[in-house]
Amino acid sequence: MKTSYDLTLNIRRYDPYQNRTWVQTYQLEAGRIMRFVDLFRKINDEQDATLAWGSSCEHGQCGSCSVRINGKPMLACELLVENAVNEFGSTTFFIEPLPVASVVRDLVIDTDQAYARIDQVKPYIISPRQPAADGEAHQISPEELDRYVDATRCINCFCCSAACIASHDTFLGPNAMLAAIVRVMDPREDEKQQRLETIYSENGVYRCHSSQACSFVCPKEIDVAHFMALAKQGAITSS
Amino acid sequence: MTAALHIAATLRCDVLIIGAGGAALRCAAEVLEQMPGASVYALTKVSHPQKSHTSTAQGGLAAVDPRDPLDSTLFHMFDTWKGSDCTADQNVVKLICESAWEQILWLENRGMHFSRDREGRLSKRTFGGHTRNFGEASVYRAVFEADRTGKGIMDTSWGETLKNGIRFFNQCIAVELLIKDRRCGGCIAFKQKDGQFVKILAKATVIATGGSGQVFRVTTNCRQNTGDGLALALQAGLPIMDPEAVQFHPTGIVGPGILASETLRSVGGILRNRDLEPFMVNYAPKMKELAPRDLVARAIESEIREGRGIVNPDHNIPHVWIDLRHLSDDVHEKQIPEVSSFFKRYVNLDTKKDLCPVRPSNHYHMGGIPTNAFGEVQDGDQQIIGGLYAVGECAAASFHGFNRLGTNSILELITMGKLVAERLIPYIKEEYGKHQDIAGDRFAARFSTYMEATGSESVGLIRNAMRTMMTEKVSVFRTEKTMNEAIEDLAESYERAHRAPLACRDLAMNQELLNRWELDNLLMVAMAISQAALHRKESRGAHFRDDYPERKDEFNYHTLASMVSFPTVEIGRREIDMSLFAAGGEHHEKFDYIERKY
Ligand SMILES: Cc1cc2nc3c(=O)[nH]c(=O)nc-3n(C[C@H](O)[C@H](O)[C@H](O)COP(=O)(O)OP(=O)(O)OC[C@H]3O[C@@H](n4cnc5c(N)ncnc54)[C@H](O)[C@@H]3O)c2cc1C
Ligand code: SF4
Ligand code: SF4
Ligand code: FES
Repeated sequence: MKTSYDLTLNIRRYDPYQNRTWVQTYQLEAGRIMRFVDLFRKINDEQDATLAWGSSCEHGQCGSCSVRINGKPMLACELLVENAVNEFGSTTFFIEPLPVASVVRDLVIDTDQAYARIDQVKPYIISPRQPAADGEAHQISPEELDRYVDATRCINCFCCSAACIASHDTFLGPNAMLAAIVRVMDPREDEKQQRLETIYSENGVYRCHSSQACSFVCPKEIDVAHFMALAKQGAITSS
Repeated sequence: MTAALHIAATLRCDVLIIGAGGAALRCAAEVLEQMPGASVYALTKVSHPQKSHTSTAQGGLAAVDPRDPLDSTLFHMFDTWKGSDCTADQNVVKLICESAWEQILWLENRGMHFSRDREGRLSKRTFGGHTRNFGEASVYRAVFEADRTGKGIMDTSWGETLKNGIRFFNQCIAVELLIKDRRCGGCIAFKQKDGQFVKILAKATVIATGGSGQVFRVTTNCRQNTGDGLALALQAGLPIMDPEAVQFHPTGIVGPGILASETLRSVGGILRNRDLEPFMVNYAPKMKELAPRDLVARAIESEIREGRGIVNPDHNIPHVWIDLRHLSDDVHEKQIPEVSSFFKRYVNLDTKKDLCPVRPSNHYHMGGIPTNAFGEVQDGDQQIIGGLYAVGECAAASFHGFNRLGTNSILELITMGKLVAERLIPYIKEEYGKHQDIAGDRFAARFSTYMEATGSESVGLIRNAMRTMMTEKVSVFRTEKTMNEAIEDLAESYERAHRAPLACRDLAMNQELLNRWELDNLLMVAMAISQAALHRKESRGAHFRDDYPERKDEFNYHTLASMVSFPTVEIGRREIDMSLFAAGGEHHEKFDYIERKY
């Protein structure tokens, strides 16, 4: 088994002061279970302190580190060198920011812009149903929760949006749809009408043409397209 | 270039929250619920509030349902007090434990997706150190959302604040607290995306900046946890309480240091050494794997020190095993799916078939900015700073004393977050709470030294070396010698950092500039930790001195560490609140300085 690899990273860069975009090549040697965020840090420490990239938790929980690697949207903190070499059959990688918002610098995008679509679908309970008695929790059976719990696992990494060819302009995007679908299926939400209007609006789920790219790239392995399909069939109402 | 180091704009709000993690958002949500229309600003270092560290909390949230016939808040208080190694403040313990269930309902009613039992009620699980009948047996006390409990809290409280009109400033970093004559007027913040400094004036300011784990190389904490809030307080002349109280999680995944949740042990995972011997029975005969973290961390470290560890060939890091192979598929798939996937993703192992490598990893800072039981910040003379509050991991009220029980941190966020809101609302309504424009006179000098530095040092390398040094010298086991070495090393690193030039002097999204600023924060916090640890010649909770292995009554107090000027740290003390003991009554003797044995 190989213990280290000689890698070539071609990284798309952007300098906001010069308004200049270019591709920069970095050569580096890395151990087999280094993550791509470790590679970026290694570049910062050893070659180029100016390369800007995003991350926070660095273990696949927050969705801050999404980039496109050889065209595929992925979490840079989850991709191990060894797996990347196997998956892409190459030691050369082309790394770009996600195309879901404007670029601030290098691999860092304006996340606020991307999130504006999530805010639009109101990712909270608009009109809470009162629990059976004051000071009590609602009772939700595990079966009922199971119907939508997968959709609640979304971390808004926007990989699906980046992969969804339909999402760029008018479509709110698969992850925004999930956020809306969750509250349609959640028995604690009373305001279903407004939600359904959003889901079936001009920018809603009918923009989706079932390519399933979202499910394919989702790092949380959520079957996003399944929820899109449910919504299109009108099968998302709660009890 | 330095011409840009001026204040580009002055903004005004009612409540400024520095941070947008669980503590910050719970506080903000309460302010907005009680005062609709109030202007609440929240700053984050990350790209969006949801990316805050709270989102990674896995295991659960301790809270006693008052109707639970098998449990009681008194038991929870006792466990917290005992777990803290008798250094928590009992008034705070009482407040938090008693208001816990109400906060669970707040979250549930607002849409948090708690895991459910067959009847559709909130499921509960056991957790290390949580017991019934004063240590008799472990108890089902932690509610949870699969292994995404922190994410549930974040999604819910972020949603509520969004619904009620908060204003977020993402990637906007507080760089100086505005404090004068024991009053806080807000902060200076650096908007990273457009490279501007702004002054934010607020009637009340809440520090909720989270942990400081990046001080150590092997840590479960996120990249942004550089102890900024603590450093801002130190720079403003305020003390940090119990900085030496740093928790090391027993089971970090070897390599990146990622947390393998305590849940692995609570669902029945067994720790084994090189000879596959289940060694916990030798350290905590009764609780075994479920003993509190510090005991388990020291047990693992001892196995490793005595040659019963295994060395991982890829990382050259010694570790022990956690064995999950005997657990049912249902446990693997329903109760620990996310954590099992970490082993798969980061070390390519299958928890159903393989032994998994773990070792202690820095995890939580019990110490923090000293506050009273309502989150009001105190100075070294224990006088309140008007209009300044601290809550969450950056604060020390102190609920955890010298050792935090698992599931008690995110409980603290939601209970204290609400309490702080209730405390500051009357304050901002009062005459006294009007805006006060205080000059910010330190940030420009600090940033211009960074921008103008020349020499041959490197910010990244100094930072790496410091973190490795802290993991080697000031972690699970400490001695006078290692601490003195650490202090010397930190002083030298601080000097060297002044000779580290920046590769680029732009302000916008210049990560090296931010790293440079964070390096100063890390060095200050590391210095406070090391000096306080040197001073405390005893062992207590997570602070373990090889040269003084016993707890001593003469140290029954909280440390207050102030930084006169780097590297000089002044040590003061604060009494431990013993009000539960002092109240007399049934079981009060449980709240005396008891022995911490499991
Ligand atoms: C992997 C992991 C698992 C855990 N699991 C559990 C668990 O199961 N149960 C439990 O009780 N506890 C758990 N903990 C501990 C718990 O998650 C943390 O203590 C808690 O989330 C801290 O919350 P907080 O709101 O104080 O800070 P954070 O969530 O860290 O938020 C801090 C906020 O402040 C911002 N900030 C920081 N500095 C600045 C600055 N200078 N300017 C502006 N903004 C700033 C950050 O961007 C962030 O928004 C876990 C911790 C880890 C690391
Ligand atoms: S299935 Fe629909 S939402 Fe998913 S990527 Fe394809 S078009 Fe987009
Ligand atoms: S659905 Fe998956 S890919 Fe899309 S944002 Fe959520 S976690 Fe990311
Ligand atoms: S940094 Fe959090 S998901 Fe990658």
